[in-house]
Amino acid sequence: MSALPLAFGAPLLLFGLLALPVIWWLLRMTPPRPQREAFAPLPILARVLKADHTPAHSPWWLTALRLLVAALIIFALAEPILNPRSQTLSRTGPLVLMIDNGWAAAPDWSERVESAEALLAEAREAELPVLIAFTAERRHEPTPTTAEAALEQLRAAEPRSWQPARASAVDAIITALADTAPGTIAILSDGVAEGQSAAADEQTTAPDDDAAAFERLFALGASDIQIFARTGSAPVALTAASNAANGFEVTAARLPEAGARDITLIARDNRGRDVARGALTFAAGEMTASGRLDAPFELRNDIARLEVVAARTAAGVRLIDDSARRRRVALISGAPADQSQPLLAPLYYIDNALSPFAELRRADSADLAIAVPKLLATNPNVIIMADIGVPQTIGAPSELSPSASADTSAWPAALSEWVRRGGTLIRFAGPRLAAASGDDPLIPVRLRRGERELGGALSWDEPQPLAAYPTAGPFSGLPTPGNVTVKRQVLAEPSADLAARTWASLADGTPLVTAAPRGDGRIVLFHVTAEAGWSNLPISGHFVEMLRRIVQLSNVSRATIEAQDASASTSSDSAAGQALLPPWRLLDASGRLVPANGDARPLDLSAARPQPGPDSPPGLYGNEDGHVALNLFAPGESLRSLVIPAPAAPLTRLPIGSSETIPLTPWLFAAALFGLIADTLIVLILAGGLSRLRSRAGLLQRSRVALALLAALAVSLVPALQPASAQQNAGAPAAASDARAGDAHILEQLDTTHLAYVLTGDDTVDATSRAGLDGLSTYLANRTALEPGAAVGVDIERDELAFYPLIYWPMSEQAPFPTEAAISRIDAYMRSGGSVLFDTRDRIDSLGAGTTGPTRRLQIILSGLDIPALEPVPSDHVLTKAFYLLDTFPGRYADGPLWVEAIGEGGPDGDRPARGGDGVSSILITGNDLAAAWAQDAAGNPLFATVPNDPWQREYAYRAGVNIVMYMLTGNYKADQVHIPALLERLGQ
Amino acid sequence: MAPIGRTVDPAFRLDVLARAQARAGLLPDCLAEARRVANTVIAGWHGRRKRGIGETFWQFRPHVEGESHSRIDWRRSARDDHLYVRDREWEAAHTVWLWADPSPSMRYQSEMALVSKESRALVVMLAMAEILSRSGERIACPGVMDPVAARNGAERLALALAHADMDSLPKQPELGRINRMSDVILVSDCLDDELLSACIAPAAQRGIRGHLVEIFDPAEERFPYTGRTEFRDPETGATLTAGRAETVADDYRRAWNNRRAALAASVRHSGWSFLANATDRPASEVLAALHGRLSGTPVSRTDAT
Repeated sequence: MSALPLAFGAPLLLFGLLALPVIWWLLRMTPPRPQREAFAPLPILARVLKADHTPAHSPWWLTALRLLVAALIIFALAEPILNPRSQTLSRTGPLVLMIDNGWAAAPDWSERVESAEALLAEAREAELPVLIAFTAERRHEPTPTTAEAALEQLRAAEPRSWQPARASAVDAIITALADTAPGTIAILSDGVAEGQSAAADEQTTAPDDDAAAFERLFALGASDIQIFARTGSAPVALTAASNAANGFEVTAARLPEAGARDITLIARDNRGRDVARGALTFAAGEMTASGRLDAPFELRNDIARLEVVAARTAAGVRLIDDSARRRRVALISGAPADQSQPLLAPLYYIDNALSPFAELRRADSADLAIAVPKLLATNPNVIIMADIGVPQTIGAPSELSPSASADTSAWPAALSEWVRRGGTLIRFAGPRLAAASGDDPLIPVRLRRGERELGGALSWDEPQPLAAYPTAGPFSGLPTPGNVTVKRQVLAEPSADLAARTWASLADGTPLVTAAPRGDGRIVLFHVTAEAGWSNLPISGHFVEMLRRIVQLSNVSRATIEAQDASASTSSDSAAGQALLPPWRLLDASGRLVPANGDARPLDLSAARPQPGPDSPPGLYGNEDGHVALNLFAPGESLRSLVIPAPAAPLTRLPIGSSETIPLTPWLFAAALFGLIADTLIVLILAGGLSRLRSRAGLLQRSRVALALLAALAVSLVPALQPASAQQNAGAPAAASDARAGDAHILEQLDTTHLAYVLTGDDTVDATSRAGLDGLSTYLANRTALEPGAAVGVDIERDELAFYPLIYWPMSEQAPFPTEAAISRIDAYMRSGGSVLFDTRDRIDSLGAGTTGPTRRLQIILSGLDIPALEPVPSDHVLTKAFYLLDTFPGRYADGPLWVEAIGEGGPDGDRPARGGDGVSSILITGNDLAAAWAQDAAGNPLFATVPNDPWQREYAYRAGVNIVMYMLTGNYKADQVHIPALLERLGQ
Repeated sequence: MAPIGRTVDPAFRLDVLARAQARAGLLPDCLAEARRVANTVIAGWHGRRKRGIGETFWQFRPHVEGESHSRIDWRRSARDDHLYVRDREWEAAHTVWLWADPSPSMRYQSEMALVSKESRALVVMLAMAEILSRSGERIACPGVMDPVAARNGAERLALALAHADMDSLPKQPELGRINRMSDVILVSDCLDDELLSACIAPAAQRGIRGHLVEIFDPAEERFPYTGRTEFRDPETGATLTAGRAETVADDYRRAWNNRRAALAASVRHSGWSFLANATDRPASEVLAALHGRLSGTPVSRTDAT
């Protein structure tokens, strides 16, 4: 045992090797089992089969292989271990185990646990009491316990997302040990000093804390000290990230290290999607690195977190708060909203420009004293004021609100306060602003009174185009607007910082957009109006881009959250004094966001930035609508190495995790398994199984194998398919259930074209209509490609009319008058493309007298319809050419005209609703009693004589009906056909 | 590894009733298959093609001096100056005895074969019964059915087989009471050595014409067994273990072929014909050959080894 670095976990099992001879004997005695076959011509076989020359025993080498396998299994069960750990723990006192479980321990936590387990296992064997302490826990309560209890504590511990507090842990250890001298002190350190400092030389207390704590610990008189430290490079912390003009600027820190190092960063949005990637490079010897993530402007606002790809720690994640929120924009205008002239209203363009990407709130009152507090109560991120002069001093009456009450003056103060707390105020110039005094408190630059006019009648200047955007401003990167010209503007007083505050300027250098920060917020002024009066900027696309960039620059977090908190809390003192944000999502040690647990305390925004710790872990505070990110490191902080002072006792430094003891059990089992596989193959070959397989590789065999594979595949796919089939099952009833009661009838109407007539209620007329339309249908089926179904009588009060291209409506004096609803249904039918053929059937009657009953009835009906101008069918109308060439449309009576919608000379008028639908006239009116001419009995004999009694007149009546139906179905197609010669002539060119 | 061959009838050791039921269940399938095969063979075959005593018209031939005047067909003869005699087609009924081997060794099917030997034998027998019944022959089965002339002879034979007590049937057909003008068709796997000496030789001596159809499984001919294999005779239950079966394959095939050649030679020597059919080949092959032998128009003999 001493010569070989080999130990056995269960050496008693090695006695199993004594069983090997028995196994050998058994193996020799058992010949392979024969394949049993039924075989009828046995006598023939018996003649040729001589003595059985099968060996009674397996070949010796096969037996040896099997013995080897058995020996391997026995050895494996004995749990041999190569290079067993040397006994290192001092037996003089309890084992003190101090484990760093701060953020830096997260990447190799499992190795740390392994190392600690190894120590605990040794302590268990030596029956040493153990005292285990985790430095990053909230409370340190180490007590000397057994190794088993300590192991449970170790398994329950997990890395935390904050810094360890070693001093308090050491104090707790000293208290717990009382006077006992520890035997071995084992420290599993993460190598990062506690506390960060903005400037290392300024704050020197923190390293002293660590060093003093370790000195106190070492002073306990331990006989052996083991320090486990990381061998590789330490994790990296992201200390700052800001959304700069050209990209996302990121700063990272690392421990002092000699070599250069590259790290890769990923920016993700709030759903974890990969938005941008970038790299940072630590130069050799440098502790900090800065870099920029290049991403489009729009995407940068979506970034919710940055993370280092390689090591997943809490410090390697930088949370960006509230960047993905939609901004709320409040609009205030000085001009009264005039809806009849929207293009002149100043807010119209802003509204259209911002509505796709911001939530807009309009002032609902012209009185600013009422409107502004109301808008502020909705917590807008941006307030846009178009042409409003703000009163100069608080308390002075406003010229804008003649009806203002006494507290009118409060709103500029409120607005100013809102801006200082982070709001963005965008103002547009205008006559009112220009007329206001130059001491307006809510403008970024001082303005000259009055406006400048370019290119007017009294001006020498031409209208000015815009210059290229300055690279420092938020508009950098936008293309220079070439087609925007400014005719009027308000001018800024020259000052030293005017250039720095200018975001956009005209070609002659006068500023067009200026901005200035106020507190946490910002005021932006457009020196032109928001409507197109002073310039054509509002009607150009650049206006949209500019507004969009300004709105997305607007700060949302603090103003919103404070306001929310203030409005949420009922007590006035909390609203005034401190704004508390509850923890919402917290980072765990490996940089994942997890729901907040009960340990974290709310974040006090009014106080200084708290040090992340057990009480306030890094994470997001607030709620889903608005939150503030607390990151582990503040901008400017850096990492320092943990310095452990040299103790008096012997010190051993060990790497973490890489225990060199190799358990051989898995390897031995694997070898035994391979031996078994080899044995199986050998037996197969010996028994002729392979050649049998070859000889039987017929279609049957292959199909069986394929079938088995298919079955296995099917079994594995069943769970995957089940949801789909379940979905199908769920979908089937839904698809089946949309059948309605009248579907069969509708389908029947849709399958074939039906001619329809209105059921007037007068039975004689209805019977004539049915017989007439049936007769026409027969004629159509005989003469044309159209084979209509049976004529359908529709009740215009109830039936669906949309199935029928043409509805024949004979007028009858005896019939009840249709209701208003029915007439409006007919109107809707005509608007949606249907046509109605009115037939007054009174040609004879109207010859003598003026207006007959049916005509009057028609007039009443038509008065309820939206009817365009009518005319008798002109000779070049499509109706005269749709199928037959006709010049009259006789029915039972010969000479009555057919009225259709007049075809205007100047094209269709858009106000006529009934003209929709392929240019087909939605109304036809005749008095010739067409149905009576078409009507025939079952034998095909006409029912009514024509007047005069001329057989050709009936034929022409049918032809008129054919033309009308064809016109309904084909529209103006025939009108195009008559132009074919001209078209062909043109094509021929 | 699955064995190459199997005994298809699991009811082999069970009681007679169960076996009869299994047999009866097999018969309709065999009958349908036999009909199908018979149709393929019977197509294009027109009766005896001989003149003789019958009812259907065969030919007019000139009257030869000395023939009975009553046989002159006057209607035909009135057309010209010669006298004609109306010949009819020969329709003499003939008895064909069919027999399929019922021994247990027939219930064998290897995975190379399409059907078991028993099934193939029944199909061949019933198909022949169908063909012969349709052409008006009388068919019979020794020990099972007496000679019968009917259009549905195949069904009646199947019915008789279904009702027969197969275990009480002798292993060899009793050909003693068959008269000498009959044909005999024996369908068997010919593994019973006494079949030739006890059955065929005496019948041939009595002048009975016969046909022996050997049904064999391809596994029995090719001997595809390898490795350590224990062979069991389904008839006697005797076992034989070969250490490496592939080593005796060549010897076995030689012995098998020699035995078959000897059998065929002795069968032909006694005036019978010998046909062989492997169960991985279609039954119609042997049926066509058999039909050719029966009707006297031999077809190609490639399949008749």
